[in-house]
Amino acid sequence: MGLMIPCPHCGPREYTEFTFGGELRELEAPDPQADFERVYLRENLPGPQRERWFHALGCRRWLTLTRDIARNEVLDA
Amino acid sequence: MLELEGRRIPIREGDTIASALHRAGVRTFNRSLKLHRRRGLYCLTGDCPNCLVTVDGVPGVRACTTEARDGMRVERETGWPSAETDMLAATELAHPLMPVGFYSKTFIRPRLAWPLAERAIRRATGIGTLPADRAPRRLDARNVHTDVLVVGGGVAGLAAALAAAERGERVLVCDEGRLGEKVAPGPIRERLEALGEEARRSERIELLERHVAVGVYEGPLVPLAAEGGLVRVHPRRIVLATGAVETHGVFPGNDLPGVWLGRGAARMAGVHRVRPAERAVVALATEEGLAHLEVLRTAGVEIAAVLAPLELAERIPPEVRALPDGHVVAAHGRRGVRAITVASGGLREEIACDALVLSLGLAPRDALLRMAEAEPVLAAGDLARPGCSLAEAEETGRAAGRGEPVEPRPPESIKLGRDGIVCLCEDVSLRDLRDAWAEGWRSAEILKRYTTATMGPCQGAMCGRILASFVAARAAVGEAPTLRPARTTARPPARPVPLEVLAAGVHETGAKRTSLHERHLAAGAAMERSGSWLRPSRYAPDWREDHRAVRERVSLMDVGTLGKFLVAGRDARALVDRVFPCDVERLAPGRSRYLLALDEAGYVMDDGLLCAMPDGSYVITSTSGGAERMEAWLRNWIDRLGLHVHLLNRTAELGAINVAGPLARELLQRLTDDPLGPDAIPYPGHARITVAGVPCHAIRSGFVGELSFELHPPRSRGPELWDALMAAGRDLGIHPHGLEALDVLRLEKGHVYLGQDTLPDDHPGKLGLSWAVAMDKPAFVGKVALARMAELPLERRLVGLRFDAPPQRGMPLTLDGRVVGRVTSCAVSPTLGYPIGLGWLRAVDGAFPERLRAGGALATVVPTPFYDPEGARVRA
Repeated sequence: MGLMIPCPHCGPREYTEFTFGGELRELEAPDPQADFERVYLRENLPGPQRERWFHALGCRRWLTLTRDIARNEVLDA
Repeated sequence: MLELEGRRIPIREGDTIASALHRAGVRTFNRSLKLHRRRGLYCLTGDCPNCLVTVDGVPGVRACTTEARDGMRVERETGWPSAETDMLAATELAHPLMPVGFYSKTFIRPRLAWPLAERAIRRATGIGTLPADRAPRRLDARNVHTDVLVVGGGVAGLAAALAAAERGERVLVCDEGRLGEKVAPGPIRERLEALGEEARRSERIELLERHVAVGVYEGPLVPLAAEGGLVRVHPRRIVLATGAVETHGVFPGNDLPGVWLGRGAARMAGVHRVRPAERAVVALATEEGLAHLEVLRTAGVEIAAVLAPLELAERIPPEVRALPDGHVVAAHGRRGVRAITVASGGLREEIACDALVLSLGLAPRDALLRMAEAEPVLAAGDLARPGCSLAEAEETGRAAGRGEPVEPRPPESIKLGRDGIVCLCEDVSLRDLRDAWAEGWRSAEILKRYTTATMGPCQGAMCGRILASFVAARAAVGEAPTLRPARTTARPPARPVPLEVLAAGVHETGAKRTSLHERHLAAGAAMERSGSWLRPSRYAPDWREDHRAVRERVSLMDVGTLGKFLVAGRDARALVDRVFPCDVERLAPGRSRYLLALDEAGYVMDDGLLCAMPDGSYVITSTSGGAERMEAWLRNWIDRLGLHVHLLNRTAELGAINVAGPLARELLQRLTDDPLGPDAIPYPGHARITVAGVPCHAIRSGFVGELSFELHPPRSRGPELWDALMAAGRDLGIHPHGLEALDVLRLEKGHVYLGQDTLPDDHPGKLGLSWAVAMDKPAFVGKVALARMAELPLERRLVGLRFDAPPQRGMPLTLDGRVVGRVTSCAVSPTLGYPIGLGWLRAVDGAFPERLRAGGALATVVPTPFYDPEGARVRA
């Protein structure tokens, strides 16, 4: 059944209502080299990943959740 | 009655196209792809390519699984002038000259001959002709969610469905045909009908007949193709009970019309009540083969001989001539089978007959199963255990229905003859495989690519396992590594599917319209799809008339599609200052600024205008295509930065009309008492005014390069405002403009179209937009990246170009024959009278070349804007 995403405002909803916002990244980095890595490099490791989702066809708010990207399962939100 | 190439063919209740044609004496259904060999009915289970015909102009229809309907027009697809008398069959005589890998070996030089050779080959090969003049049907797609999807409505599939339903699960069963239609009368058919009855009675089971599973995708998602469109099934788990295909026999003459798979012959005799042949030789090695033999005898087919292994030979009725442990050496004939050479007990014998029926073994129909990687899929019945008994099929089906995996039994390796066609679709023979092997192509995947075996319409349904057996036999004698599985990768579609079915639902994305849509139509505008919107391309037949109205008089453009946002709240300014690269600090209320939105990598994402409002809020406009993304992007930053901001996307709520041209102020002043002079609304600035009684936010804009006021009225009042402006401007020569004129107007000003003139990794410096970036601000999104990139030499930039002849958009820019850039926009400027354009250019040896070629035209790099470089007209 695809992926259900627990939206804090709307409850569990189909992932098709959301826009994927990628891995959660820090807002800033201490130096330019660290910023380069922050901006351009992704972890993309199989297993739990903190990531952003935008409820485009719902409340139009962002949320952060942890998803096991190897198993495509939401672990917590 | 159906019509075959002008001939009328009677049809009966329950007929498929194949059975009707066979009854009428048609034996050649097709000509093979390359060698133009005759092909006749073979599997009758929808697996082989032999009966593909064109029905009512639609090519690639399987005659054996398509119900015959009154008035159908059927044509055989290959062969010239017809499949029955095919002159191109002479191709086969040239076969020795066309070795395996013919294309790779032959079409090397001269390059100039390629198009000629290609044209000749395309005419001689291929299956069917795409109907060029047929209007595409708009088919619908629907989504279905269910607990269990069962693919295959046979005994195992229905048993699985019933077992799952008993546990309280909702079940969807799909079958590519009607339940039981392929099964000849007998115990299997009886059990199938009983289970089907039970399934139809169940409230938890939905049955979709004539629905073909296309593939297994992540999700899991299984799209089903049907006559009416596409059904996207989203199940929690999947049971595959797609059954097995009878083994394709490989021996010389194996593809002659009259060589049948047992199920095909039994179906023709038992289901359609048409005798498949007069006198047949039967080669069987399965239990099921004995049943097929009975069906054929009941139908009155004379059995010339039965070849069977000892244990089955004992069970053959004594009045039938059995050849224990016999096997087929070759089939002979020209138009069809005339005789068979068999070998039995060391003796060879030629037996006259008009059919050879093969029940040699079963290979799982496992394309879907092999596509599933991480998806929750269980296999049951013949798919898990090829050749399993009726009881075993039901038992494994029930287990899979309960969610218990079934221990699979691997299919047996297939014995191959001396030669024969391995891949019916692509005309690849056993000899071709041996030759390719000898040339060193030594794995299933590489043999597939070199010989194209398994790459035809049946996607390896018949020959995939033969190819695997071929490689396995080589591995057995130490000629191939055994580590890798011998089957090639399975990919969707598992069955041939019309493209229009795959496109089902595409038309459902409706185009958005502005509130002025009717006005455009009434004015005779040509409309076009622009992103998700329907917009006017031009009003006058020649866009240059629209263009002239803007440059010389006054014009309107509906820009209601622009993204429009209100940013308000305590932290409005903090947000705008933190995320955008422009100077917000010094932006006074009533003034506006060109706005760039950068991503964190410093690349340009969108552009628009930023207006500071007297109450401390901001109005932002974005590009039409970028509005959705802009909102999501802003909301992300509000959330991440924890700011108190109200963001209101007013794109749909507000209309927008750009009033542009030297007479724009004169026109507006006729409809408002609000001051419009350069002091009241300076450039770049904005104000709230009332025009013709309609409250508007008026923004001075410079996009088209003339005095312009972009009016944002409430959407519902747009038409009234448009009408008032058009009426008041009549004596000024007012005339609206569309996207075609706009493209040139902005090009004359050197303004970029994001996405058209830009590449995904363009930072402002590459676009000449550094002036819109305040690097002295403490922070904005992308600043660190921009600072880092500023230290690197500029490797590419967007430049203005002047041409001596009109080029085409997309043409490469060359320097001494080397491609160093590309034309991204170009037009013959009506204002300047010569061709101008924008294009990106790569640095050559650390400098940007100035004189280039674009096709036949000379291109010179010139500064932009091309028109009114001082901007006096915009500021007026």
